[in-house]
Amino acid sequence: MTDMLNKTQEIVKKAKKLGADEVIAKTTLGKYRQVRFSNNQVDITVAWNDYVTDVALAWKKRLVATQIHNFVDVEKNLKQLLKLAKVSKENPTFGGFAKGTFRYARSKADRKIMELENPTEFVFQAVEAARKEVGSKIDSGGILFTKFENVYLSSSEGPTGTDTRSAIELSIRAFAEREASGHGVECSSTLKGFKPSRAGTKAGEIAVMAKKPKIGEEGAYDVIFDPLIFGSIVGIWASMVSAYSIMTQMSVFVNKLGKKVAPKIVTLKDNPAPYSMSNRVFDDEGVPTKENVVINHGVLKTYLHNTSTAKIFKTKTTGNAGLVAPGVWNMEIDAGEMDKDELFADTKRGLYLTNTWYTRFQNYAKGDFSTIPRDGIFLVEKGEIKQSLKDLRLSDNALTMLGNIAGISKERQHVHWWGEADPPSLSPYVLMKNVHMTKSR
Amino acid sequence: MDEDLIDYTLEYAENKKIEYAEVRGQTQTADRIVLRNGNLEAYVSAVDTGFCVRIMANGGIGFASTNLWSKTEAKQIVDLAFKYANRANRKEKLFFAKEKAVKAKWAVTQRKKIENVPSEERVQTFIDIDKNITSCGVNIPATISQCSIDLITKYFANSEGSRISSFVPKIGAYLFITVAEQGKTEQAYEQFGRSGGWEAFKEWNITEKMVHDAKVLKNVITKAENVKPGNMDLICGPEVTGIAAHESCGHPMEADRILGREMSQAGRSFIYKSSPYWIGTRIGSNTVTVVDDPTLENSYGYYLYDDEGVKARRRFLYKEGIINEFLQNRESAAKMDTSSNGSSRSINYDREAIVRMANTFVLPGKLSEEELIEDVKHGVYMKSFTEWNIDDKRFNQRYIGREAYLVEKGELKNPVARPIIETTTEKFWTSVDAVSKEVKFDAATCGKGDPSQGAPVYTGGPCLRLRGVFVK
Repeated sequence: MTDMLNKTQEIVKKAKKLGADEVIAKTTLGKYRQVRFSNNQVDITVAWNDYVTDVALAWKKRLVATQIHNFVDVEKNLKQLLKLAKVSKENPTFGGFAKGTFRYARSKADRKIMELENPTEFVFQAVEAARKEVGSKIDSGGILFTKFENVYLSSSEGPTGTDTRSAIELSIRAFAEREASGHGVECSSTLKGFKPSRAGTKAGEIAVMAKKPKIGEEGAYDVIFDPLIFGSIVGIWASMVSAYSIMTQMSVFVNKLGKKVAPKIVTLKDNPAPYSMSNRVFDDEGVPTKENVVINHGVLKTYLHNTSTAKIFKTKTTGNAGLVAPGVWNMEIDAGEMDKDELFADTKRGLYLTNTWYTRFQNYAKGDFSTIPRDGIFLVEKGEIKQSLKDLRLSDNALTMLGNIAGISKERQHVHWWGEADPPSLSPYVLMKNVHMTKSR
Repeated sequence: MDEDLIDYTLEYAENKKIEYAEVRGQTQTADRIVLRNGNLEAYVSAVDTGFCVRIMANGGIGFASTNLWSKTEAKQIVDLAFKYANRANRKEKLFFAKEKAVKAKWAVTQRKKIENVPSEERVQTFIDIDKNITSCGVNIPATISQCSIDLITKYFANSEGSRISSFVPKIGAYLFITVAEQGKTEQAYEQFGRSGGWEAFKEWNITEKMVHDAKVLKNVITKAENVKPGNMDLICGPEVTGIAAHESCGHPMEADRILGREMSQAGRSFIYKSSPYWIGTRIGSNTVTVVDDPTLENSYGYYLYDDEGVKARRRFLYKEGIINEFLQNRESAAKMDTSSNGSSRSINYDREAIVRMANTFVLPGKLSEEELIEDVKHGVYMKSFTEWNIDDKRFNQRYIGREAYLVEKGELKNPVARPIIETTTEKFWTSVDAVSKEVKFDAATCGKGDPSQGAPVYTGGPCLRLRGVFVK
């Protein structure tokens, strides 16, 4: 551990000696494993070993970056990088890297994830759980993914630290009929409490309920969002609270700081907490990560920043630095006061949506977009699921939808799925009013 | 590229009880230039290099990769892949469709070598483009410009005797603009891509295209009217034709998707055995032929051999409106008792090769664009699109116009604001009654795989005329 940190610090010292003004080096030793399965059988098991140092340096406000693998050709790489900086152009908005020395929380990563001998066993558990719900005609597919990273960071501006990051995720989609499917996920940073069968059961339950779907009708509905699909919707808002999105007009939150953007029941945070798949104790500038309340009881409180964007917005970094732009780690929606069943009971005529994909915008600044619900889509009448539906598209506006949240469940789930429910989130069941659905004609 | 180490790794794998092994090395010199509002945010330049092994043993597949070029690491990844292949414990054993061993070297030539273009010139090119766009007389409060340059060297070796080396330079650009007028905004992006050298910039006419987009967006805000919803004729410009060909022909014709291998991510297909749609079924009018062709020289999706060492060729997907040929790799082809048609692609050494499109487009007809329009009494000409998407069985899609005009009695009239076609794959392609003669291409990044593998592709085609579709 010390050896890797020393080597990382050496890179910083060398770059400074060669003339760089500010330098950050971050070494990641990563072991990633994935089991992919379909038709209830394992298709491929994949292992990636990655050894990389990301180096970012500034020279007279020119920002350049590279990657060095396994500490090979360090001097040569740094000379080239500095040469690149000297022919590059000044970035007038570059505000420097974070300065100071920090104490970091101790990582709670689970080493057992790295040592997992037989990850396919988790897949079989999930498939069997789904089979219990669906029966012998089940067709299921998905992935099991594990991550274990040792991270070493050194900055010429002071921050130095080590971190260990772990994650495990099981995602399963089960089919009871060709057009009747359900999707379940189980996401964690540790093996403790990780239950693949929970994801399999949920996928199977939804698939069974989704049998014999009818084509849905266009119109405005009250919609109950399952935690998985709500994780996708939260991902939309999450991408729009990065200061970078504000500066590039790719957000509905431009000029909305301090303003009411949601009902009082909505509190939205970014928090790479130890339980989350995005767990980390510092960001890419070495600033300690923390919980940031983005929307507090409906009021937009902050954008997410690195040191440079914070200077532009005359505030402090929120510990969200990525290599170039601030990112989002793990969104949390504060739990509400209602039971899931109460949300359903409050719905006279509406929809229950469980998953979605292919979200695309007409205009990020305005917020008009559509996304295509998949897996279980259900008509709800007088609090009861009446009919399985298919072939509907959610066509609405990101800001309007945030304002139409009418109920949040106490129950929350840590969800992540592919690029669709991303970044990871702690997501409840949510009741939203007046959601517009369209269909093919 | 240490080809000897790749050969060594293969030899080490072959000494195990395997049914098949391949080793693929890739070195990618990657430059990324990122500008925001005309200022260079960062210049990222790195070399990513590594190799992977894919092993079939006991009817299962194991894959492992590393970016450490050493014999110790090579043995470790082979051992891992071998172990994982055996642990798959499949009831239905996997095997690959047969292929002949290939020994080949191929490369894309550059008229103006990217390596000879100084970094400062690369950056200045984009600064100048941004200046020209933002001074065009339209209020543009935000721009993003990105340039990607990838010099990709690969070496492929498998246990059947194939040895293939290749070099492909790929260059790409992405521009995004926000136009603000009268307190309203509109946005547009354009993507450019080519396999080849810096000469791409002369062909792309980025400034001209983006200034055109800016003026179109201004018109949408200040002049465009809404379409009165109803059944009408729709002319699709090549950009719209291309996205439709990609989404509702290319994707559903991927054999791995049809077989369910992507079921929990990119989804399945409306085409499957026992469905109303299979090879030989009509899905479009007889004026519609959609092909996928990796061999288009200098295209963004260009290759001569795929990442399983299979020679590339043109694939006729929908032929005169009939479902004709799926995109296959060796795994899917074996399951369907056919041959691979060279559709296996991987974006890097650390990703498995899966079934992908390359350049998907509609073949041209005989009419001019003007002749298509002349015969429309009432309709819309959708030249380009903003929002689009399609469901995961690739049947329900929607395209919203960015640049679009009303057509009355054969003449283009006023611009229309965001006309929408939301329809099924069958309705879309069977409504086509005429196809124009000039094919145009757009670069795009196709998403598929887990972890995601954004693959460079072309989408394209001529103008299409659809009769009597619902536009709102």
